[in-house]
Amino acid sequence: MTSIDNIGVQVEAVHGNVRPILNEVLHALDKLIDTNESTVIDLAGLPFAPGELDELEETLGQGELSAQLDALGASRIQETHYPGVWWIEHRNAHDEVVGRYLEITRIPEILSSQDADICAGRARLGEQFE
Amino acid sequence: MKNTPTVGEILQAKGVSRRGFLKYCATTASLLALPPAMIPRIAEAIESARRPSVIWLSFQECTGCTESLTRSAAPTVEGLIFDAISLDYHHTLQAASGDQAEAARHAAMEENEGGYLVLVDGSIPMGNPGFSTIAGISNYDMLMETVAGAAAVVSIGTCAAFGGIPGANPNPTGAVSVGDLVKDKPIINVPGCPPIPMVMTAVLTQFLTFGQLPEVDKYGRPLAFFGQTIHDRCYRRPFYEQGKFANTFDDEGAKAGWCLYKLGCKGPTTYNACATVKWNQGTSFPIESGHPCLGCSEPDFWDKGGFYEPLSTGKFGSGEKVAGAAAAGVALGVAAAAAGRRHQAKFTKEG
Amino acid sequence: MDLLDFARGPALQWAAYILVAGTIWRIVGIILLKEKPDYSEPRKRAGYGAALKVIWTRAFTAEPFAKATLYPKMMAYVMHIGLFAVIFLFTPHIVFFEGWTGLDWPGLPNSVIFFLGVATVVSAVALLVRRLTNPVLKLISNFDDYFSWFVSTLPVVTGLLIPVRVGLRYEDLLAIHILSVALLLIWLPFGKLGHTFLVFVTRGTTGMVFERRGAKT
Repeated sequence: MTSIDNIGVQVEAVHGNVRPILNEVLHALDKLIDTNESTVIDLAGLPFAPGELDELEETLGQGELSAQLDALGASRIQETHYPGVWWIEHRNAHDEVVGRYLEITRIPEILSSQDADICAGRARLGEQFE
Repeated sequence: MKNTPTVGEILQAKGVSRRGFLKYCATTASLLALPPAMIPRIAEAIESARRPSVIWLSFQECTGCTESLTRSAAPTVEGLIFDAISLDYHHTLQAASGDQAEAARHAAMEENEGGYLVLVDGSIPMGNPGFSTIAGISNYDMLMETVAGAAAVVSIGTCAAFGGIPGANPNPTGAVSVGDLVKDKPIINVPGCPPIPMVMTAVLTQFLTFGQLPEVDKYGRPLAFFGQTIHDRCYRRPFYEQGKFANTFDDEGAKAGWCLYKLGCKGPTTYNACATVKWNQGTSFPIESGHPCLGCSEPDFWDKGGFYEPLSTGKFGSGEKVAGAAAAGVALGVAAAAAGRRHQAKFTKEG
Repeated sequence: MDLLDFARGPALQWAAYILVAGTIWRIVGIILLKEKPDYSEPRKRAGYGAALKVIWTRAFTAEPFAKATLYPKMMAYVMHIGLFAVIFLFTPHIVFFEGWTGLDWPGLPNSVIFFLGVATVVSAVALLVRRLTNPVLKLISNFDDYFSWFVSTLPVVTGLLIPVRVGLRYEDLLAIHILSVALLLIWLPFGKLGHTFLVFVTRGTTGMVFERRGAKT
């Protein structure tokens, strides 16, 4: 029985998006170094050719730190091979990808413990002593 | 309007953490094609928004739009129903039917007078009300009755927005779009056959987040998703520019993923977000899968020449008409020559 | 029916009918005219070979005039070759002809076509400027000259505007381009633009007459 992989297509590669995005990342890193300002690049709005997104991910690589977030589905927050450049992928409860970003920052906002959660947690802990 | 809880309160009650909420806001910003810098504003807006009531009316449709919406990733329609909006009426998705269902619809309309959203998929037959009825009520009557107290109407899919396939030649049921009938309420058209799920939910989310409807183009389509043509965002555009085209569906050009213009792609004249947002959670879209764009988000796309006829094909009229023109030319030529020869004869005689 | 449907449909259809009728009218009207009798002794039997020869040789300027006419000649060649390239070697146009004749041929990359299109417009403008500033040309130019120039240049300009996208939607720019082509096709058989098909008739006739008289062809 033939499978979808047996279809003999040899797609001609298109590399239009990878270099411009890397250039944007370069400028964002400059901004981070000079003024400590963060940048977020939304990868959802860009027309990626087949394989280009993987190429981008491969080029940026994986760095020292990776974090898994479990909130309304799993999210992966990965520092790339280039410190300060974070790859963030959000999935929903059905494990479908709902968001993909590059954050050029010291630490992505979502990694920090949030004020509302801290207060709610403190209240919960306080109940332990009642 | 009933004092419904805010979305922020609902999420908190469901135990959604602040991180989860931020994630939701980030994906919403992506959905609405807003820059990431808007995320804090979205967070603020969503937290204080109240759950609007939504009534969904299905008329002459194939249910593809509902199917498409239930495949939507973010937010999921179940998520939408329970967390964000209050879907008070939907033929296909609701458990109730018959009188009970109609009673629920009327209750929702009364309770939320002036503030509810009406979503419509399918065209409305005007040829004979009997062509399409629900609980014995004609589509036309149900539409006009329901939109009377609505805040706005959203036409989901090309059938509701422009007439779609029922409205295509010869239009046996006299199908018309929502916009042809409703003149006194704001209408947002979200066309596509079906529309991209994310686009549908984005419009609803925008209403939820900002309490407003998005900016639209001359066909009433949200500019955020229908402001660019497929051609202008297609990843195969470099091949178009280089002159690399597929000539048949299985030739080397097609296998290499070259431009599908010669196979009838309507990308240059079609406004939709397929090339960037794509389908099935960003898996691919028709052109990426090797099939030319049909132009399904454009009015009358069924009647705009064949799907496999290239855009620049001329329509020269019948061969007979051209032959007729040729015959006319011969006649005129003979007449002109006859006059000329008479003139020449006069000349030579005198000369 | 929006503007694009009108341009692609009725406008182009009627332009085609008028083009066919007009072209045949002129050709038939000219060919059926009586030949002026030539009572001189024929130096050589004139055949179609001479006709074909002159169709070819008239493309090159005769030696005494070559230097004086070099500039307008170069501009005209750029304009004609550019026009040929953008019409027949641009893939969406090739697809158009394929729909009509069933024939297909390879095209040039879009960037090359764009460059050639610009070259065509520049040379056309240069020729117009010459027509307006050269005292002899200015004197003998009439409506036909200027209007023929206008309907030939307009489609190239409107075609170049499409990728440039001057704020209008693609469909509207395309409609305007197609309408300008329709205008060209309608005017073509009449007036001096008729040289597109008549040049062969006139040069051929000249060839045969000259050969009969023993003149250089």
